[in-house]
Amino acid sequence: MALLEVDALQTHFRTPDGINRAVDGVSFHVNAGETLAIVGESGCGKSVTAMSILRLIPEPPGKIAGAIRFNGKNLLEASDKEMRAIRGNEISMIFQEPMTSLNPVLTVGRQIGETLRLHQGMSAQAAEDRAVEMLNLVGIPEAKRRVKEYPHQLSGGMRQRVMIAIALACNPKLLIADEPTTALDVTIQAQILDLMRDLKHRVGAAIVLITHDLGVVAEVAERVVVMYAGRKVEEAPVHALFNKPRHPYTQGLLGSVPKLGSSLTGEATRLAEIPGLVPSLKQKIPGCVFASRCAHATDLCTAVAPALEEKAPGHVAACHYALREGALAA
Amino acid sequence: MFAYIVRRVLATIPVMAIVALFVFSLLYIAPGDPAAVIAGDQATPDDVERIRASLGLDRPYLVRFGAWVWDILRGDLGVSIFTNLPVSTMIQQRIEPTLSLMIVTLILAVSIAVPMGVVAAWRQGTWIDRAVMGFAVLGFSVPVFVVGYVLAYFFALEWDLLPVQGYTPFARGFWPWLENLILPSIALGSVYIALIARITRATMLEVLQQDYIRTARAKGLNQSGILFLHALKNAAVPIITVIGIGIALLIGGAVVTESVFAIPGLGRLTVDAILRRDYPVIQGVVLLFSFVYVLVNLAIDLAYTLFDPRIRY
Ligand SMILES: Nc1ncnc2c1ncn2[C@@H]1O[C@H](COP(=O)(O)OP(=O)(O)O)[C@@H](O)[C@H]1O
Ligand code: SF4
Ligand SMILES: [Mg+2]
Repeated sequence: MALLEVDALQTHFRTPDGINRAVDGVSFHVNAGETLAIVGESGCGKSVTAMSILRLIPEPPGKIAGAIRFNGKNLLEASDKEMRAIRGNEISMIFQEPMTSLNPVLTVGRQIGETLRLHQGMSAQAAEDRAVEMLNLVGIPEAKRRVKEYPHQLSGGMRQRVMIAIALACNPKLLIADEPTTALDVTIQAQILDLMRDLKHRVGAAIVLITHDLGVVAEVAERVVVMYAGRKVEEAPVHALFNKPRHPYTQGLLGSVPKLGSSLTGEATRLAEIPGLVPSLKQKIPGCVFASRCAHATDLCTAVAPALEEKAPGHVAACHYALREGALAA
Repeated sequence: MFAYIVRRVLATIPVMAIVALFVFSLLYIAPGDPAAVIAGDQATPDDVERIRASLGLDRPYLVRFGAWVWDILRGDLGVSIFTNLPVSTMIQQRIEPTLSLMIVTLILAVSIAVPMGVVAAWRQGTWIDRAVMGFAVLGFSVPVFVVGYVLAYFFALEWDLLPVQGYTPFARGFWPWLENLILPSIALGSVYIALIARITRATMLEVLQQDYIRTARAKGLNQSGILFLHALKNAAVPIITVIGIGIALLIGGAVVTESVFAIPGLGRLTVDAILRRDYPVIQGVVLLFSFVYVLVNLAIDLAYTLFDPRIRY
């Protein structure tokens, strides 16, 4: 049994001008100790997927359907109390915005210790001692002094390290990292990624890593889910995805990306620009969601939505023309 | 921090000096001969002359002011023209009811208004939110004396739950003391509650949108931990500011409230003094209220640092 199974997840938002289908039928799984990357352009529903797993979506206007099974238990049916016992304890999350994700009026030590006191019943003193250990672990010098400081006294990179310390304090089984390095300088990005990889080996948590950065994916992920307009359009082991992307969207994304294993630092490894706009999520699209931007689109594509098909072992894609082996037929 | 406190305390001195000059000048701003003004309509020329001498009107203005300030610094606020008692004694006799009324109102208002605002923000758009906002509008628009009479009518006269009016000194027991203060405090506090509840709600709405609230949720905190620790502490600075500004409202409102509920406090003393044109008493009371207001503002400035570590001096 997989650690996390996301099954036909639908997260819709009611807005004044119609229903926003931010996530529309996405399924994937994460095995214990594994790193799964989710990639896709901005606005394709990655963050909403991540927040849906922890049920952090405001309901209303949001509405989550489908199933999210964690250790076999459907979180969408869990009580608020059960969810609170999971959040920050068994599943924790790191956000994109290190500058604003820490509470400005509480000390760093308190914010790390809080989850320990809450989930593990530690005393205030024990929690603070452990907070110092955690700061050491995430590579913050002078941890003893730093625990008493406030977030505004730390740099962006330091703050993200603190977020990682908070996330890992209770030894979670799953860590969801939503673009943890996007807001940071390139050199700091590399440091934070190194730290996450290092800690992953030590802590043994599974990671869902959401990112724009295909270079990051190549370095740290084992499997990759590619999302487009609220759907999963391709999923493959990382080597297969980089060597033989099946979906035209993935091929477009990979257009300008260096080969697998290239250095993380320096080179721009952001997603390639694909001409055209992401379709509005407020309209139901009858055919392929990518048809409006796809160079290979045909009448079939605009009329019939392609199903996710296994093109090679463990490699699925949703495209009428993606062959089982090789490139596109059309 | 200590240096800051010292600097801040020193900075109140010029403020108090200006207030003192204004209070001192009250008598001279009034039209006509101050001695005649004080002496009143029925005074004989002899009376006026006596008062003129006692005021030292023959000396220059600033010299008189200096002498007056020097007296005040030694605790001498002058003598009431009407009762011939020292003003400081009269204030001492009347200060307990007013202080009690202010403190009970402050505690009552803050402990009602802050949770009200927090819950309204949390439940934004629901009937609870609308009820709180409706109350806030009402609190603003209904004058203290109306609230006071309505409360007294129902709670005291109709239902006989609380005393109609009067004051019981604290020395005679906590409950008898408090019992007499409940209705006046609600009457006096209604505007204050409305004000604090509104600012609490508005600030909390903004704070609850912040990323760190999402973090707190992701850590598994329960709703009250999120609202009252993570959010409220961030909302504290504007709330405390309004609590401080509101003290001025309370001082003004206390005068009316004490009249409505027949509380023998400084408010009554002030009203009586104004009606009798008892200038030394008026000056003493205004000076005292100003001093309290300056102190409250000082306390608030210092309180900011307790709640927000980003505020540095
Ligand atoms: N609270 C919300 N209310 C309405 N729409 C939302 C809300 N949160 C996200 N969305 C919408 O969901 C879509 C996906 O957003 P998101 O998951 O943040 O994209 P990304 O892949 O860049 O992380 C966007 O169209 C966004 O406007
Ligand atoms: S189904 Fe058609 S439109 Fe969609 S990605 Fe494949 S070729 Fe392009
Ligand atoms: Mg995002």
